[in-house]
Amino acid sequence: MDKTAQILGKSSFKRVMRRHRDAVIAAVILTPMLLFWLILSGVPTIFGFFLGFFNWVGLNDTPDFIWFDNFIRFFKDPVYTGALWRSIWLGGLVTAVTLISGFGAAILMNMPLIGKGFYRSLWYIPAVTSTVATTQVFNILLDTNNGVINNFLKSIGKEPIIWQYSAGWGIFWIVVYSAWKGVGGAALIWLAGLQSVDQTLYEAADIDGAGRWAKLKFVTMPGLKPIATYIVITSLIGAIQIYEQVLFITNGGPYGQTEVLVFRIYRDGFWDFNLGMAGASSLIMAVIVIVATVFYYKWSTGSDKRMTIPNKPIKRGR
Amino acid sequence: MSEPLRIKIKNQFTPVHLISHIVLLGVGLVLLYPLIFMVLAGFFSKTEFTSTVLGVFPIPKAPTLANYKALVMGSIDTAVTVYFRNSIIRTAYNTFWALITSFLAGYVFARLKFKGKETLFLIMLATQMIPTTLAIIPTYLEYARFPFAGGNRIFTGGTGILNTWWIYLIGGPAINIMGTFLVKQSLEKVPIELDEAARMDGAGTFRLIFQILFPLQLPIMAFIAITTALGTWNDFITPFFYTSSDSLQTLPAAITKLSSVGASPGAVINYPLIITLSLGVTLPALLIFFFFQKYIVQGLASTGIKG
Repeated sequence: MDKTAQILGKSSFKRVMRRHRDAVIAAVILTPMLLFWLILSGVPTIFGFFLGFFNWVGLNDTPDFIWFDNFIRFFKDPVYTGALWRSIWLGGLVTAVTLISGFGAAILMNMPLIGKGFYRSLWYIPAVTSTVATTQVFNILLDTNNGVINNFLKSIGKEPIIWQYSAGWGIFWIVVYSAWKGVGGAALIWLAGLQSVDQTLYEAADIDGAGRWAKLKFVTMPGLKPIATYIVITSLIGAIQIYEQVLFITNGGPYGQTEVLVFRIYRDGFWDFNLGMAGASSLIMAVIVIVATVFYYKWSTGSDKRMTIPNKPIKRGR
Repeated sequence: MSEPLRIKIKNQFTPVHLISHIVLLGVGLVLLYPLIFMVLAGFFSKTEFTSTVLGVFPIPKAPTLANYKALVMGSIDTAVTVYFRNSIIRTAYNTFWALITSFLAGYVFARLKFKGKETLFLIMLATQMIPTTLAIIPTYLEYARFPFAGGNRIFTGGTGILNTWWIYLIGGPAINIMGTFLVKQSLEKVPIELDEAARMDGAGTFRLIFQILFPLQLPIMAFIAITTALGTWNDFITPFFYTSSDSLQTLPAAITKLSSVGASPGAVINYPLIITLSLGVTLPALLIFFFFQKYIVQGLASTGIKG
């Protein structure tokens, strides 16, 4: 009896193993990784969404469930609608400047130049530097009293500018910094797109006597359409979440006039300890990003079968 | 494109080519300017930096190597050595785990058959859309209320795992979704017959994964390693928000605490020290980039376009 049970048990275990071998291996490999992922991202993200439904000011306060009050306040308070609107147009501006300059660079890099590889690397260097470190250099350049740019202005007989007092200049430098950092990456992706355009079309255009401009307009541009949608949408999704350069260059000032939504979330959470509003803003931001991504996904899979996902840098260990 | 080199060189001197060279090199050098400035500023002593009227290319009258020496050998007024050590340990740890989790999970999703695989993968990809910045505050709360840690009676009472090494270690074994996606995409191009042949020859799963499939994925693994390493190396969020003690800081977090963001309002910002630490963050990142740029270019192209 004993022995039979043992044999039976063993063989049934073996049978299960044989029938569900793949599932068992997958479970053994994936379960621990997914558990750690839950601690790292899953739980905080879901927790964050619930925060939006509470009035919770200060870590030691008891949270009050207040339904949609935070969301109603979000759309009534000009501080939040202003920040949301600024995120959108600043994101659009950054995307436009980065992608247009990147496209120009990619067109040049795509020519049979000697030292192409060198140029590609040179332009990509800003992308690998740390935002914290390089924004500090920008701050030294923009210092009011002994900033490099103001010293230069004085030396050519112009009045120095107090950059920190002007929202316009603040936005300007945020855009310059973002474009500085992003142009190399954009150029590389455009370049990959340019190289994927069917070369025989150019030969055909040559035979038809097309000039450089006509080729750009009638061969390159249509051939780039899929990658253009990809890069525009992913850059936009990235750019409306910009906040590190805002934090380090203007810190939201003057008087909150350069606050973008993600910066506002940071401010609510870590300065004002208004956790409920931070959660509500997060949820609204996430909804915008998800809608944009789904919209893009539908659009791109409708027109061709390229599989693309949001281009997010691999960042670990939060 | 296989024209003789002589013709290629001759072509470089047509007006269009010349202008392209000038633009690419000229703008490229302008892009490099902030880094050139950083390296030059590194030669200033603390007193000279604040007293000099800074020009476009600041050259110190009495150049000093003190800042660079402090970077390599540590100095008295900062814990540079500790920051460096923490940065390096964190980067190595996260890179190691990113390689393991991406490859194993990529293998699972590319090769194994089980119920709900597609759904699980889609859910994972969908979570990638949620902006990571938004989780900072809830993560802080989670770490502060981590059960039975740091004096917590279940959820409250202590500081949880805030301000301990755990905040760096806990994220390591979590699945790296971008990496998994890249490995899956790349493994699917390897014919399944290879697996079958290896199994016929008696290789087990373990051997198949590490001796046969892994070596084929080296370029994509290199890309994952470099992006993870650079991402962790440059990351200031984790240490800045979840630690306070000096012995846990990394280089970017130390800079953040010295900058206008972390310093008390009205305090004079110690730019020479910031520049020194910035060099400490930037130069190793540049080194990694120069050694592995081939993989970055390849990898970036393959994240955007399939095939």
